[in-house]
Amino acid sequence: MPPGGLDAITGAWSRRGALAAIVASTLPGCSPVHRRDDNTLVVGLTYDLDTLNVYSTGFLGDVQAAVVEGLIAPDQQARYVPVLALEVPTLANGGIVVAPDGQSMTITYQLRRGVRWHDGAPFTAADVAFTWAAVRNPAFIAESKDGSDVIVAVDTPDPYTVICRYDRVAPTFAATMFTFGILPKHLLDGVDLNTAGYNERPIGTGPFRVTAFKRGQYVLTERNPYYWRRDAAGRQLPYIDRLIFKIIPNSNTLLTQLRSGELDLVTQTPYDQAKQMGALPGVELVRSAVLSWQHLDFNFKNPTLRDPAVRRAIAHAIDRDALVRVNGGFQRPIKSVVVPTFDFYDPATPDYPFNPAKARAILDAAGYRVQRDGVRAKGDARLAYRFVCQAGKGDDELAQQVILAQLSAIGIAASADNKTGVSYRQARYKGDYDLNYSTWVTGADPVYSRFFSTKGSNNGQGYANPAMDRILTRMESTLDPAERRRAAFAMQQLLAVDLPTIPLTSGAAVASKRTRLRDYTPNPTNMTAFVSCAGWRLQA
Amino acid sequence: MSGRGLIARLLGIIPLLLGISLVLFAVVHLAPGGPLDVYADNPSVTPEALARIAKAYGLDLPWPEQYGLWLRSMLTGDWGYSIRTGRPVLQEIVERLGPTLELGAVAMTIAFVAAVALGVIAAFEEGRRIDRVIVAVTLGGLSIPVFWLGLVLQYVLSVRLGWLPSAGLETIGGSSFADRAAHLVMPAAVLAFATGAGWTRYLRAGMITALRQDYIRTAYAKGLSTQTVLLRHALRNAIVPAISIIALDLAGLVSGAVITEAVFAWPGVGSLFVESMDGRDYPVLMGVLMMGSLAVILANIIADLAQAALDPRLRNG
Repeated sequence: MPPGGLDAITGAWSRRGALAAIVASTLPGCSPVHRRDDNTLVVGLTYDLDTLNVYSTGFLGDVQAAVVEGLIAPDQQARYVPVLALEVPTLANGGIVVAPDGQSMTITYQLRRGVRWHDGAPFTAADVAFTWAAVRNPAFIAESKDGSDVIVAVDTPDPYTVICRYDRVAPTFAATMFTFGILPKHLLDGVDLNTAGYNERPIGTGPFRVTAFKRGQYVLTERNPYYWRRDAAGRQLPYIDRLIFKIIPNSNTLLTQLRSGELDLVTQTPYDQAKQMGALPGVELVRSAVLSWQHLDFNFKNPTLRDPAVRRAIAHAIDRDALVRVNGGFQRPIKSVVVPTFDFYDPATPDYPFNPAKARAILDAAGYRVQRDGVRAKGDARLAYRFVCQAGKGDDELAQQVILAQLSAIGIAASADNKTGVSYRQARYKGDYDLNYSTWVTGADPVYSRFFSTKGSNNGQGYANPAMDRILTRMESTLDPAERRRAAFAMQQLLAVDLPTIPLTSGAAVASKRTRLRDYTPNPTNMTAFVSCAGWRLQA
Repeated sequence: MSGRGLIARLLGIIPLLLGISLVLFAVVHLAPGGPLDVYADNPSVTPEALARIAKAYGLDLPWPEQYGLWLRSMLTGDWGYSIRTGRPVLQEIVERLGPTLELGAVAMTIAFVAAVALGVIAAFEEGRRIDRVIVAVTLGGLSIPVFWLGLVLQYVLSVRLGWLPSAGLETIGGSSFADRAAHLVMPAAVLAFATGAGWTRYLRAGMITALRQDYIRTAYAKGLSTQTVLLRHALRNAIVPAISIIALDLAGLVSGAVITEAVFAWPGVGSLFVESMDGRDYPVLMGVLMMGSLAVILANIIADLAQAALDPRLRNG
């Protein structure tokens, strides 16, 4: 359908429609069905929920974030704030203690008192210890068991103290297990988590409790009467009485429901429909950063790509503004793999501004001459590359087309060799490509060694630099924030010189909401906006 | 068909289903992508973790071996577990059958009544204005894409007029019979229009052929009323060829109306199929496909029996 096709078609209907509406309003029982002025927030989800267990879902846990809580959570600036713990453990406050030999550490959480589960049972340190044991259990199939394997023991000297003993120094402890959510021991002890009823009706300590989950339809939640959090005036949160998540996989239908007032909020509007959504009366867009970055990776197994001149030339050949434009103008151009939301971002990271003339000059100087077929070569070495991205991801494939055109403009021939699913992931891990365009979405504390250390689990490029390994080791084995920041800056400087990857854009989330929803707060991390939904209000 | 012939046909279902299952299993597994794709952008899911999950679901085995395991458990009545949700496949499907049958039964009933009425009228009035209108409308039913028609109805009846809810099965937390019915109107209308259009044209053509036969002239000459001639004599003959088409469409009932369900967020088997396809949830996909295949095979047999009952010439054939 052409853009505005429906509007064009229904424009003629609108006059008749108005007339019919006037007639209709005089008829009994024909009042419009969508007037909702109660204190219920209806949210549209574009995916069908697989499970409400935060550890095994393959999606971001929108619903889970409103229902279960962790000990700490990232706020709007991706900084950790206390939730069920009284404070975020640091070296300064004594929450983190490094062993004298510097090889291991303990982290102590003091828990909030008087917190109750949705069924009224008290929340204690036993639940935290149980969560660690349950997630770690090899029989439990979970997406990520991050952090459970580096803790060797969890001690609970009293009901409100949790001491986690780590077998190493782990500065990124916060982005792991105890942040996602705590599991209730009194309900799950001895239960198989793969098939537990908990996955349908999770019990948490969060602001909303699940009262019904109809598969393929909706999740119904209501305010948790035991919720511990109060606002500045001492009023118990949440402000909203009921939070409903409707499952509407078809994005056109989602748009229709927002239009008609049957929905109040969509947290992830497809880029290509955002403008249309924002133009609706009574609807506003909220654009926010996401901790994701799109990037172009070079494979060092390819001899010409090992040549720094070729990588530098490609860096100058790419126009990031065109990449942003082609995907609706919502992403932001970036020059560092550390997205600017983070404190660790180094604004002084060297960048390679878009300059095709300079790119051509670099290649000329390096001896790569344009041949009769328009492709540059030096001797037998032609600059022709196999360019891989994930097939079926529209945004990625559009960006790839733009990059292909920009490479061609400086005499580099690349051909798309896109793969789906398993074969794409295999290609990325094993380096089965010359050029690879992809996205990484991270939590609030990314472990960069996964990408850039010689043995990194996601380093399929064959990038290896002992200096980089040392920097990353320093960054990921110190708990001193100033030292970590220095290491992060060093990493960004070195990446800009070595150029194993070109950071291109950072993603954005575009939420569409009806204006009656106030104080909505997006969240850039994978904890979703609902981590702070207790403070949202609905205007009567 | 004799009793023995029927038993032979029923027994023939078994090898047929085996063959179908092998082909479907191969196609589903050879399609690009896989159930673990949801983890593609998440760097904290390590290759080791993925290998562990793949092993847990047996996804690391070559597909013929996976087929053998699947078949063995199917034969013992175990449909397996969904990869996405961890729940039994049978439970996932049974949950979605209710809404699918509800939508399908209402839509098919409307479609059948309308198709018989309009087909008979169009044939009787062949070439006149009313016939031309019916032919034009049914052409629309055959050619207008279901999703587009659904969107237009939603826009007019829901967004503009606010008469009907735009999507879903019921109002959450406040459902009643009237509310369920209101939610059913648009998807049932769209589905009935799309299905009934073909049936109408089929019946019209059958009726036109029948009305030209000598026995119709004889019936009129005997002084029978138009109504009796049309319904007792002509329609009975015209409906026989239409039965196989209608039966096949009815078989599609259990697999759900994929597009209609998607547009109207209708939680039926069709939606389940799309979600399972997106997530490459092999066990659920196979469950839905096998159920659909069985329905088509049975519908064929039932259509043959029905045609034989209506047309004595086809008996013992």
